[in-house]
Parts: sequence; C-alpha cells; structure tokens
Amino acid sequence: MSVTAPPAAVSATPADDAPSSPRARARLEPVYLAMLLPAVVLFTIFITFPAVVGMFYSFTNYAGYGTWDFIGLVNYRAIFSDPRILGAYTFTIGFSLVTVLLVNAIALALAIALNAKIKLKAGLRSVFFLPMVISGIVIAYVFSYLFNTTIPLLAQSIGIEALSTSILANESLAWLGVVLVTTWQAVPGAMIIYLAGLLAIPDDIYEAASVDGAGAWRQFRSITLPLMAGYVVINTILGFKGFLNAYDIIVGLTNGGPGTSTFSIAMTIFTGFTSGDYAYQMANAVLFFIITVVLSLVQLQVIKRRGVTL
Amino acid sequence: MTAQTSTPQIPPVARDTAKKWWRRGGNDLDDTKYNWTLTIVLIVLSLAVLVPLYFTVTMALKTSAQAGTGTGLALPSPLTLSNFAEAWELTNFGRAALISAAISAVTVGGLILLASMAAFAIAQNWDRKLFRYSYFYLLAAMFIPFPVIALPQIKFMSIVGLSNPVGVAILHLLFGLSFNILLYSAFLRSVPTELMESAQIDGARTMQLFWRVVFPLLAPMNATVAIFAFLQSWNDFMMPSLIIANPQWQTIPVVQALFQSQFSANYNISFASYLMAMAPTVVAYLFAQRWVMSGVTQGAIKG
Amino acid sequence: MVAMLSSPRQGPQGVRAPTGVLSRRSFLRGVVATAALAGPLAACSRGSEATTLRFYQSKPEVVGYFDDNIIAPFNTSQDAIHVTHDATTSLVASLVRQDPHDLVCNNYDNMAGTFVARDVLTDLKDLPAAARVQPDVQELVGQYATADRATDVLPYSVTAAGVIYNEALFDEHGVQVPTTWSQMQAACETFQAVDGVTPIYMTLRDPWTIQQGLFDYTAGGMIDVAGFFADLQAAGPDGGTAGSVNFRDTFAPIVARMLQMLDYANSDAASRAYFDGNTAFAEGDVAMYFQGPWAIGEIFNANPDLPTRTFPLPATDVVEDLAARVNLDLALWIPAGAAHPEEAATFIEYLTQPEVQVTYNDDNLAFTPTVDAPPVQDERIAGLQAAIDEGRFYQGAGTYIPNSIPTGNYLQELVLSRNGDQFLETLDADWNRLAQRTQA
Repeated sequence: MSVTAPPAAVSATPADDAPSSPRARARLEPVYLAMLLPAVVLFTIFITFPAVVGMFYSFTNYAGYGTWDFIGLVNYRAIFSDPRILGAYTFTIGFSLVTVLLVNAIALALAIALNAKIKLKAGLRSVFFLPMVISGIVIAYVFSYLFNTTIPLLAQSIGIEALSTSILANESLAWLGVVLVTTWQAVPGAMIIYLAGLLAIPDDIYEAASVDGAGAWRQFRSITLPLMAGYVVINTILGFKGFLNAYDIIVGLTNGGPGTSTFSIAMTIFTGFTSGDYAYQMANAVLFFIITVVLSLVQLQVIKRRGVTL
Repeated sequence: MTAQTSTPQIPPVARDTAKKWWRRGGNDLDDTKYNWTLTIVLIVLSLAVLVPLYFTVTMALKTSAQAGTGTGLALPSPLTLSNFAEAWELTNFGRAALISAAISAVTVGGLILLASMAAFAIAQNWDRKLFRYSYFYLLAAMFIPFPVIALPQIKFMSIVGLSNPVGVAILHLLFGLSFNILLYSAFLRSVPTELMESAQIDGARTMQLFWRVVFPLLAPMNATVAIFAFLQSWNDFMMPSLIIANPQWQTIPVVQALFQSQFSANYNISFASYLMAMAPTVVAYLFAQRWVMSGVTQGAIKG
Repeated sequence: MVAMLSSPRQGPQGVRAPTGVLSRRSFLRGVVATAALAGPLAACSRGSEATTLRFYQSKPEVVGYFDDNIIAPFNTSQDAIHVTHDATTSLVASLVRQDPHDLVCNNYDNMAGTFVARDVLTDLKDLPAAARVQPDVQELVGQYATADRATDVLPYSVTAAGVIYNEALFDEHGVQVPTTWSQMQAACETFQAVDGVTPIYMTLRDPWTIQQGLFDYTAGGMIDVAGFFADLQAAGPDGGTAGSVNFRDTFAPIVARMLQMLDYANSDAASRAYFDGNTAFAEGDVAMYFQGPWAIGEIFNANPDLPTRTFPLPATDVVEDLAARVNLDLALWIPAGAAHPEEAATFIEYLTQPEVQVTYNDDNLAFTPTVDAPPVQDERIAGLQAAIDEGRFYQGAGTYIPNSIPTGNYLQELVLSRNGDQFLETLDADWNRLAQRTQA
C-alpha cells in the first residue's frame, strides 16, 4: 500500500528474556484471551482469509469476475519465462538496494548532525521530518514538475547541456529520479530511528574518548558506528521491504517508463486487474510474497549473527 | 525495539534523559560552543526539503495565467487565494475531509486499543505457545503484498455489507495491527517488571493493572502509534478507492485522484488541493512530534 | 493510481485522452447532481412506484452534459424510472462485488472486451436500438475478443481521430492537405525548412499519445488492422511465432515509417507530455499534431481563433488506403446481474432517439453510428467524414493488444532507441506468451 514502511519501525520481538511475569502461572487468566483474541480473530477474517482466497486464484484463469477454470501451475510456469516480470524483479530489487544504501547513509549522517550541538536544533529537526507526512502521490506530482520543467529550464538558462532534458525522459537515468524522490520521502523515518539510537549513547563515552585524544572520525568509527549497528540492520530490513513494494511514487513520476525501464513489481501485479489477467498476476504476487519473506529472513539471520535482538 | 549489540553493550541510560531530549535542543545551557559550520551546512541541506515545499505553496497561490509558465519557482504575482476556493468546491473537500477524518479517527482509536491490549496480553504470557505464535502470526502479515488480498477483500467486504467507510476503517486498523503490536511489545519490554509486580501485589486485577498502570505508561507510545496510523490512514488511496462502493463516501485522496485528470492542466488548482490535503497531516505532525520522538526513544532504549 | 481497477481514461490503452474539454464547472455540476440524486434515500423520497436505475457514465468531458441535457429531462418526463448517475466507481470493483450498475454507457476498450469475453453482460440484440446501429460499426465490438457476442454492447458515440493541423500555417506556406505518403513527406519538409515551425509535435513522455497517434495511425494507414488481429487470434498458441502470424512480418514497414516521421518532431519531444502538446499547438507554430477530438477541445479552450482541422494520415501512396482511426467512445451495455434490466432497456430507447443521440454527438465532436445519422457539421472534424462514410476506418492497432502487454511503454522504448527489431521481437514474444497461457 504505502511505499515506505512506517518509520518508527525499530522493533522487537519480546524475546525469551521478556518480562516474564512473576506469577509463573499454571492457569491462564481469561482476561488475557479477551485482550488478544479480538485482534487475532478480526485479523484472520479480514486479512488471512482473503489472502488464502487470493492465493487460490493463482491456480485458476480467473479474471476477477465471470467464470473460471482451475489450471494448476500454468501461471507459475509462465512467470519464469516472462522477461517483463523478470525485468521488473531486477529493476525493483536493484532500485531497493540503492535506495536502502542511500537512505541509510543520509539518515545516519543527518541524525548525527541533528544530534550535535547546533543552533536551531528543534526547527531543523522539524524541517527534515516534514517529507514523511506527505503522501507519495503528491510528492510524485510535485517532483514530476520539478524534473520535467524546472530543472531543464534552469539548466538551459545557465547552459548545462546535460541537464537540459528531463532525466525522467532518459531511459538510463530515470531510475535515478525514482531513487532520489523515494529517498526524499524515506529519509525522515530512518532518521527518527537513528536519532533515537543516538540519544541512547551517553555523552560521557564521547567525553572519555575526547580526553584520550580521539578525533571526530575516530569517535564515529569506534563508538557511534558499532553502537548503531543494530539500528542500521533494522532500518535496512524495514526500508528494503517498503521499497520492494514501490508503487505510488513510480506511477506518478515515470509510470514505468521511459519504455519499461522503471516498471516495478507492484505495478506489474496491478496491471492484472484491468487486463483480465488477474490470476496470472496473483501467481506473481504469491511469488513476490515468498521472495519478500525469504529476503527478510536472510536479513534477520544477519541480525542474529550480530547479536541484535529484534 | 531493543537493539542490543553484544560488543560493546549499549549502556543503560537514564530514562528521563531520553524524555527530555527535545528540550536539549535550542536552549542548551551548558557552555560548550555551538557548531556553527554544521548549523550552516544543515540549513543549506534543508533547502532540499524546503524548495519543493516552497514550489508547492507558491504554485497554489498563482493565477492560472502564471502557473505552468517558466520554472515554477517565481513568486506568485498577482497572488490569489481563489485556487483554494475552487479546489475546495471541485473536490467537495468538506465532505471528503469529514469522511477521511472519521476513518482516521476510528483507525487510530481502534488501533491504540486493540494493539496495546494484544501486546500487553502477549508480553504477559510470552511463555504460552498460543500467545507467542499469535504474535508471529500477526507479524507475518507485514509481508503480505496488498494485491494478493485486494480482490477477495472487495468481494468479502461487499458480502458482509462493509463496502463503505466503516469497512475501510476496519481494514486500515487491521493492516496497521502487526506493526503496532510490534511497537507496543518492544515498549512493554522496557517497562520494569518490578512495576508490574508491585501493582499485582497491591491486588490490582489484570484489567485494572492494564488501565491504571500499563496504559498510562504507554502514553508516548500511543502518541507515536496514533500519528503514524493517522498519516497512513489519511494518505491512503488504494483501500478506499477499492472498497467504498458509493462515490459519495469517498475519501480525500480518492476524490483528489479522480479529479487529477481535470486538474493536471491547471497546476495551480491541483497544487492548492494537495496543500489542503496535506495541511492536517503537517499540523498533526508538528503537534505530535515531541511525543513521537520520545515514544520512539523510550522504545529504543532498554529500560 | 487511478488506473488500477477503473477509469479507462487513465489507462494507457484508454483511447481517450486522460483529460478533456469539459469545463470544470460542468464536471462540478455533474458531481453535485450525483450527490443529490444518488443519496441512499433517493429511491424512497421519490415515491414507491419509481424504480431507481443506476447508470454509469464516466467520460469526464461529458459527465455534466449527461446530467443536464440527458438525465434530468428524462427524469422529469416520466415517473416510472429515476436515473441516478455514477461517474466514479470502479467498474471492475462493482463486478467483483457482484453488484453491477443497471446500465453502463462508457468507452468500449480492451478491458470492456474482456467483459464480453467473460460473459458478464446481457445480449442486447433484441432491442429496437440494436437494429439501427451501422453494421460495420457494430462489428467493431467483436474484434477485441469474441465475434459471436458482438451484440452485448451497442455503439453509441464514435470518435474519429486523424492528424490535427493548423490550416493557417498550411495556407501560408502553400501546403495542400496530403493524401499520399509522398505528399505527407513533402509537407513535413516544407515546414521543416521554415524557421520556428514544428512540422509534427510529439509528446513522447506520455506513452498513450505515441500509441494512439504515431503507432495506430501509421498501422491503420498501411494494413488491415482488424484482419491482422483476427488472424493473430485465430493462430492461437502459435500467434507471434515465426512461421505463423506475427508482428515482425507485418509491422516492420510500419515501424520504419514511424521512425521516419520522428525526424520531423520537436527536438524536446522526449520530455513533453500531452498537455504540453495541446499548449504548443494552440500557440500556432505547430503544423501537425497526432491527436483526437478530445485535444481539439483543449486547443479550442486555449486559443479559440486557431483554425484547427483534421485529415486522416496517409501512410502509403495509395489514396484508397486513407482511413480514420475510430474508437467506440461511448457504448451501452447491461451487466448480467443488473437489478433492473427492463428499465435499462427503456432508458436505452430514450438515449438512442435521434434527437438525444445525434445532438449529443454533434455537441461533442463525435459521429453517430446509426444507419440514418446525418453527416457531422463541425469543420474541425469534417475532414474525416469521407473516410467514415466509405467505411475506411479502423480501431487503433494498440487497442487490440490486451493491457497486460504494456504496448505504450514498448513504443516509448522504440521511439527513444529507434530499435525496431527489438520492439517487434518483444511484441511477438509477449503476444505468444499470453496466447500460450490463455489458449493452451
């Protein structure tokens, strides 16, 4: 649905050291069931059930309406020989990797800067948070004008030939526009998480390091970075998952073009709704679900190896 | 939300340091010098955010004759407010805003209640399989791509008579559930167990324990959940556009998108409508900002 | 976004422009009227005997027109049926909900073609209105998917598209309206030589404009489009492969001609969109522009004095090949699960009276597809009348290709890379894959 993961997404599974109640009960208090079950039951009815039905349709030739037949694995087999779908996976995964790197680098740098002793701290923080509250569609419309009209005109007037046509009209550069705008929207969310992490580092560690003669870079390498490692991983997982689902911003900026150079997986799946090709794209969506989960599990393993509890 | 690195260990931090983080900005009293270079660099960088916003605002204040000419960066001249009136009228903004607001309110209220109670129940019964597996079950949903569900959901909502804003609110709520249970669970881990124990010893029943002790403790987290749930619900296009059957009951993003084809030749009017849709989120965010940061911070710090 | 389940006007296959000539006021009126009529209590408040008929019609340019000039007079003229107008709900979603409208009057495109193919519409062949439709127009319905159920959909309004040209520029430089490819080239050369004049204005940033103009016009002017796609469909799982019917063999000369015309386009075509095109043409320095009547309205709004005319694009040197691209801009159908099919039929009778139907089409730069319809009067589109009268018209080649193949995007790739071979290979491979999957 949304392009980016909700930002304050640092999160954790109550692990085995969770606050185990002292009451080491043998008996389960019914009130706890009353608290848990509404969520689980509603969830099953409204989310799980439709998801299972949707997955079932991936084995049919259903258009979303009218009659349908069960066709087994035909849709799945067809996907693996469909260069457009494979192209969408290549673009989306590549785009997600670049964006995740860029978002994390910028967000960490900004968080450190906004945590330093600067003037106008509160105001600057508010400004850098702002992109988070704007909907992806609107962001895409605004940047579409900036890229297609403002920047080329400015470039022409100061004579920079390379920028005088829109980068969104350039097949080999349009992805860059998509990355930049997605980054613009996603940085604040990651930045909040980094800021929260930075605030957890007590000042005296840095003071001690200063006394020992460690410079700013040294302090960053030896103190900040290791302590922030957990947050980096969390931002990476949540960001990656969000970017894999990229839809609104791409539709508004390039609509998959020029050509099919910025066609994302989510866009491909949605074409199934208007073309009578629903079932085929459902098979694609199921594969996409599996890939997302696998990629996330891999990242979780990385976290575990780093000794970070999620 | 606890992130423990094995080496080196994140040292525990006094909770009130975190609570007051925002006050540490701006009015630092200690005598170290401000980093002016960094301040200037940040001000320059903030242009990356401010220029697009400046562009949006000025565009919305331009006349049709001026909009769409030149780079779009010139100041409006003459300045007009009529775009807002026209956009308001064209999108029937008042009605759409009321519906959007109602959906967001139900989503936010329902989420705070359902997610916090479920997280509390899970945290208190982590040793029980039912609760542990329920937790993982709910988390898995974060990874289901929406298109898989979309069509069966349209059909199902219609069968149960929820092809309306109420249905959208329910779905927004449920889609937000996983993530927010995650947030609450992380926070609950930072609540000292002694607190619960002492409350229990005082004879507080579980429900009272939740309402009198836990829920107030969750206040900053509630604010965080609320603002994010509000942003998502308010800005969502896909769900209402698919679920709501009666065009009278559509939300702002949908009404806006349907009129987008009309507006796109008239940048000034479309940008005025964007600004009007954006305004509540910016205001809400600026209000909630301090709680959001403290909520995230408290979640992030091992208590 | 909007394109997802609805709104043919947004989809790249949507033959119509994503926007149109409608004044915003009239759209607003439409919405307000809808609000007033479609309230949940509307049916009751009108007294128990009136049946509420849910009517879907979403062409943005004429939503207001339908409310004021068609629905309101009908509602006041009798008491039995009360028509409410829905312009926003997704058609697919309403089918999925199994709660379809009683009557739809909308663009007939490839997506609507799947409604016919999936058998979710009612056959209208017994309606008196069906007998009045020009047979060669009625035939168009069956060309997308299934020929045997062509009377599920009744054509109501046909828009014809060709090359929009600036008559003043043509006169000033002594250029006649071309009727052969050689003359077309000569005209382009003449304008190319004039400083400050763009021979053909192209808006390559919007894929649908490449498809509806450059691609559809060139293909329609060079081959029998319907015949080619009929053969392609008949080839079943072999379609698109070497040795069978395929794009490579038939479309190679078409692509070559398209690329020739690109040389006469504006240099910034790659970053220009549909709106830029209308604005540029209205400014008067563009000789030709490959757009339909929807753009004529926009151009007229921007510059009412510009002498805008239309001619069918000549793509060969045979004058008889001249043909107009047509589109069933509005067509009527009754979904199978409609609650009030009889009342819908009554409303169809009203809609298809000449004083309603012909007036609508005259007012909206469209052709009336009935056997007894008079010729169009508006000189801005009159240049296409001869082709229509003589049956020289075709539905755009791009509209035959299902939405699951992003033809517009492929065309954009083609005009940027000028790699015709790759374009045709991709189309063939995609078509074949789809055919294998759906017809195996």
